[in-house]
Amino acid sequence: MKRITIDPITRLEGHGKIEIFLNEEGNVENAYLQIPELRGFEQFSVGRPAEEMPRITNRICGVCPEAHHMASTKALDALYHVEPTSAAKKVREMFYSAFYVTDHTVHFYALGAPDFVVGPDAPAAERNILGVIHKVGVDIGKQVIACRQRNHHVIKMVGGRGIHPVAGLPGGWSKAISTEERAEIEDIARQNIDFGLFSLKVFDDIVLANKGYVDLILSDAFTNKTYYMGTVDENNHPNFYDGKIRVVDPQGKEFVKYPPSDYAKHIAERVESWSYLKFPYLKGVGWKGFQDGLDSGIYCATPLSRLNAADGMATPKAQEAFEKFYETLGSKKINGRYEPVHYRLATHWARLIELLYSAERMLELITDPEITDPNVRQIVDTVPDEGIGGVEAPRGTLTHHYWTDEKGILTKVNLIVGTTNNNAPIALSIKKAAQGLIQKGTVITDGILNRIEMAFRNYDPCMSCATHSLPGQMPLEVVIRDVEGNVIERLSQYVD
Amino acid sequence: MKTLILGLGNPFLTDDGVGVKVANAIEEELNSESNEDITIEEASVGGLRLMEAMIGFDRVILIDALLARNGNKPGTIHRMTLDDLNAISPTQHSACAHDTTLATALEMGRRIGLALPNEIIIYAVEVENVMDFSEKPTQAVTRTIPLVVASVLEEIHPTQDIK
Repeated sequence: MKRITIDPITRLEGHGKIEIFLNEEGNVENAYLQIPELRGFEQFSVGRPAEEMPRITNRICGVCPEAHHMASTKALDALYHVEPTSAAKKVREMFYSAFYVTDHTVHFYALGAPDFVVGPDAPAAERNILGVIHKVGVDIGKQVIACRQRNHHVIKMVGGRGIHPVAGLPGGWSKAISTEERAEIEDIARQNIDFGLFSLKVFDDIVLANKGYVDLILSDAFTNKTYYMGTVDENNHPNFYDGKIRVVDPQGKEFVKYPPSDYAKHIAERVESWSYLKFPYLKGVGWKGFQDGLDSGIYCATPLSRLNAADGMATPKAQEAFEKFYETLGSKKINGRYEPVHYRLATHWARLIELLYSAERMLELITDPEITDPNVRQIVDTVPDEGIGGVEAPRGTLTHHYWTDEKGILTKVNLIVGTTNNNAPIALSIKKAAQGLIQKGTVITDGILNRIEMAFRNYDPCMSCATHSLPGQMPLEVVIRDVEGNVIERLSQYVD
Repeated sequence: MKTLILGLGNPFLTDDGVGVKVANAIEEELNSESNEDITIEEASVGGLRLMEAMIGFDRVILIDALLARNGNKPGTIHRMTLDDLNAISPTQHSACAHDTTLATALEMGRRIGLALPNEIIIYAVEVENVMDFSEKPTQAVTRTIPLVVASVLEEIHPTQDIK
């Protein structure tokens, strides 16, 4: 058995394993992503006071604690039947916008951009943020870190704690924004808008100006036609903090729109014997196996999905970028809205458009006269029973569902995290990329492995969320099996 | 010397949060002291965010869990430098799947001129269970906590007796 060792620098979380099964001809028959599952989150939560959940669930993930904190806080609003004050909602959404700016920044520059800036065939050791700096210049690194620092400052100031925020309460937020803080945040929001525009320019210059990369984005190996999910406001524009969940079909027609509390009516979960992960799908379409198209209930919930599920963006500069995105990628307008873009690698571009939107939305909210209103909390005087809270996490729609007794002690918990929504489309994308890249007689190189990784890296899969795990060491193994199941090739990112 | 003592991990994931538990215990030990030069924090982050947490400190002592690739012995304590960390393997939290490893993040930080510590010491505890949700570490790991606490205190007060 031939064993090839790949550089230990990995950019994938979880003990990820991709298994590729070949058929008799030596072509790819199937490809799966497998990751182990952590156990006992529900048992851990049951018996605790529900109001601890915003501070427990924000530990599930070191990457997007803010998203869990917010979904959990909103679940508490519903659980205690309390409507947050208008000022509290604005403070929460402003805080959440700052988080989106930092999160999308790091994904693009540290994970997405290296494949394009340094190149998909570059040695893995160079395909990282240092490689980007090396190629583009040290100034880009300074901009990235400055963007993160100023937004982490906002998160700490408004969220009460730097890394795992604590300010969310049922019915509001523990702390109002002072006039001094407001002025400082306004300045930061303006810098974020400049940074969002700068990042789109970087994408233009590095990716769109390179025909090879555009061809890669448009290639069939990285295309899957699925349903798309995203939270929208009353104008069908994306909103990350609140709204209704809208699903469009692969042709762009609205399939369903529902409040997050109705998720169980629309989403079912498929269990497969080979994976600990569950595969959510649309009940209204049904499970038809791992295939895309109009008849398959597989949906996707990513930055690309949120743009596809929307009719436009709520802020002016993001709207311009949205139009350019669809026009450039050849999408036609049908009944006043663009057809969905199915090119998975375009997710990186969509993420930058969301970054710009978040920056603009942050400025809108921080310049709203109500943002410094001290009335950020409703007093809770109701008996809790059951509550569902949802937000758009950067990696997909995030739902927290809690059940309690009359004293607010948890009796049951269900979370559908961002990446979980994308488990089936990730499987589709891996299979398609593997089929496109490996045929009978293909010599498997690091470049091929990396392109298969690119097929799911664009989803930024958060296995710590999807499995409730937090591994820091991130081996990825690709195993290729022949028609009898024998291992004929194994590519591992471990160094023995 | 401005020192940061940073416990890494998820305190709700059995052994994963051993670093956090050590940091909490050190905080209690030092409770009576008012030492502006020592900052104690806990977090569940890696990569860039971990590097950013180190800005402005002269010395950083990290405490983290480690699952050794070969022959993992729960409860074994390693004192490592950053070079050791690179040579052996990342600890549980030093790398971030969503951006980069700590080493790359630090190199980037230095390239762009951030004020990063000259000295980084890592206490890595080999762990058994990072798969089940629980606030209680396994026995082997629980036993190491006072030892790691004493070692870190010795690092910061080498001339004094530790009670």
